[in-house]
Amino acid sequence: MSSFVIEASGLSKSFGQTHALAGVDLQVRTGEAIAIMGASGSGKTTLLHCLAGITRPDAGTVDFQSGAGRVEVTSLSERERSRLRREAYGFVFQQGLLIPELTAVENVALALMLNGMPRARAEEYGRGWLAALGLAGMEDRRIGQLSGGQAQRVAIARAQVTGASVVFADEPTGALDSATSAEVMQALLDSTTGQGRTLVVVTHDADVAGRCSRIVDMRDGRIVGERVPGVAA
Amino acid sequence: MIARVAWLLARPGTSGAAASLLPVTAFAIVTALLLVVLGGAQSFWTWSDDIGVTYQALAVIALVLLVVPLASLGGAAARLSARRRDDRLATLRLLGATPATVSALAVLESVVLAAAGAIAGVVLYFLLVPLVALIPFRGEPLGVDGVLLGLPALAAVFAGVVLLAAASAVLGLRQVVISPLGVRTKQDAPKLHWLRIVIGVAVIAIAFLMMSVLQVAGSMLVIFAMLGLAFGGTIAVLNLIGPWVIRLVAQSQARRAKTPARLLAARSVLESPKAAWRQVSGVAMTSFMAVFAGTGIALLGSFGEAGDVESMQLFDDIRTGILITVIGSFLMVASSVGVNQAAGILDRGELYRSLDMLGMPTPTMDSARRRAVMSPLRITAIGSAVTAAIVMLPLTGAAIIVAPLSLAVIAGVLAAGIGVVWLGLLATKPMLERAAAG
Repeated sequence: MSSFVIEASGLSKSFGQTHALAGVDLQVRTGEAIAIMGASGSGKTTLLHCLAGITRPDAGTVDFQSGAGRVEVTSLSERERSRLRREAYGFVFQQGLLIPELTAVENVALALMLNGMPRARAEEYGRGWLAALGLAGMEDRRIGQLSGGQAQRVAIARAQVTGASVVFADEPTGALDSATSAEVMQALLDSTTGQGRTLVVVTHDADVAGRCSRIVDMRDGRIVGERVPGVAA
Repeated sequence: MIARVAWLLARPGTSGAAASLLPVTAFAIVTALLLVVLGGAQSFWTWSDDIGVTYQALAVIALVLLVVPLASLGGAAARLSARRRDDRLATLRLLGATPATVSALAVLESVVLAAAGAIAGVVLYFLLVPLVALIPFRGEPLGVDGVLLGLPALAAVFAGVVLLAAASAVLGLRQVVISPLGVRTKQDAPKLHWLRIVIGVAVIAIAFLMMSVLQVAGSMLVIFAMLGLAFGGTIAVLNLIGPWVIRLVAQSQARRAKTPARLLAARSVLESPKAAWRQVSGVAMTSFMAVFAGTGIALLGSFGEAGDVESMQLFDDIRTGILITVIGSFLMVASSVGVNQAAGILDRGELYRSLDMLGMPTPTMDSARRRAVMSPLRITAIGSAVTAAIVMLPLTGAAIIVAPLSLAVIAGVLAAGIGVVWLGLLATKPMLERAAAG
């Protein structure tokens, strides 16, 4: 069995005249935290979307290796990719993008309810994850009643509660101050690589990238370098 | 300078042409429906005989009942128009534009969109005139001459719609002017006091008592006064307890929700029960009126077979009037729901996109927002009808026995009205699918 959880080869994607990805190859190892860095417009978010099955590339393939076997994500239908994202992946976005009218625990439990778990059990799991992320006692607060860092922890709990083997995070600390950013990144790492899961992070922040096990640099839709944090290129 | 910036802002944004087309369409519907209602009412003023005055009084009641859903639709259209550029105007404010410039831009944009919509509405009205002219009253169709409004009325409606848009733009954008960095944090769901239900039940009980002792009233004047008080009092109470009941039901639904769609819908209603009520309150009035007046007419019609031809004609026409008012009200509520839903989808586009990324199926999102409208609508329509039936209990009971068909027609129209609102929701489904797909 391959030690790569995700393998992408020859990914290309254009939006009109803009070439967002121009032949990207990338392997993501099981249990690693990989940071994708680059200037705005370098194609890093498009790459994350292709790896996660949100966007279908114009060319190239993405393979996902799970306990159930190997799946070619790029050949799946829209519906199958949606199911894959729901069941096997977790997502953390810059603004959290939680549902404002739901409470913290309902936001987390929703991910499990979408997979058919009864609500009471889903909320029980949700409370457990919130407590593990330092949010015990805040389960019934609405999102507007939480700070930016707390809301982002709720988003991490939502990404993790399904037992996702890979978590994709797009600028997860982009809207936070540096101290909160460090705390949230630590929580994200603890709940992913700390549990043997895989983390793929898109970030501008060198400090965030510095805490990952590997950094890939992108420019003009291509990977132009790869390094290990703390080791001179 | 303002005109130049307004022209730059008028170019399609990320939400595409829909952001401009929606408010224009909404204003067109408001204008057309308002003109149709006024045109229909105007035709009643061509009669100058004794019974003509009765028709005019009934027309005024129908107009008053239609004002609520029409105002709700007008407000929704104006809010949608004002909201669509909030972010860009806030950016302008951050770039140093003065509050006066931002206000002027907001008003200018809304006025232009409202004017375009109002012109389209006038055209739509002219297309509808031949159909409205076919509606029979006093044994013959109203006729094109009767329902065709003159230039002053057309101009007044046009000006009214544009003014409504301008006023709503000023009110809606006040926050952008005061605090450009202000965000809607939605910190706490508003609470409604239980005292509302106590007052409501008391008024309904008084109305019930008044209707029970109606037959002992000494004169027709007293009977009409008692009917008016029971009708007006209960209508006022519906507004008082409506949001409270909607919140109570939504709370229970949120607790019991077993699926994501049900949970999302109930929480969405709880976010603002008053807004949920506002959206469908027009139906409360008409639904109440349909049962209140419909019961009376059904009874009078069945007992009045020995009566004169003119009275029978009046009963028939009142029944027609009730049906038209109910249908008009539901059409306005359906348009209002459509406009509000469209605005909601534009507002929450980023959230829908993120839910799609998480793997939430679009049908689940669609089901949640449909439930968030249909549940308050059902509570409102059925609740108001039941309230009217309780207030009119002695008469309702008799009507079920002697005139079941008339009541069945009213029930059928209410059910069809709920169906029309459902169609309004269905119309915005493609927008949701586009928003989720990003």
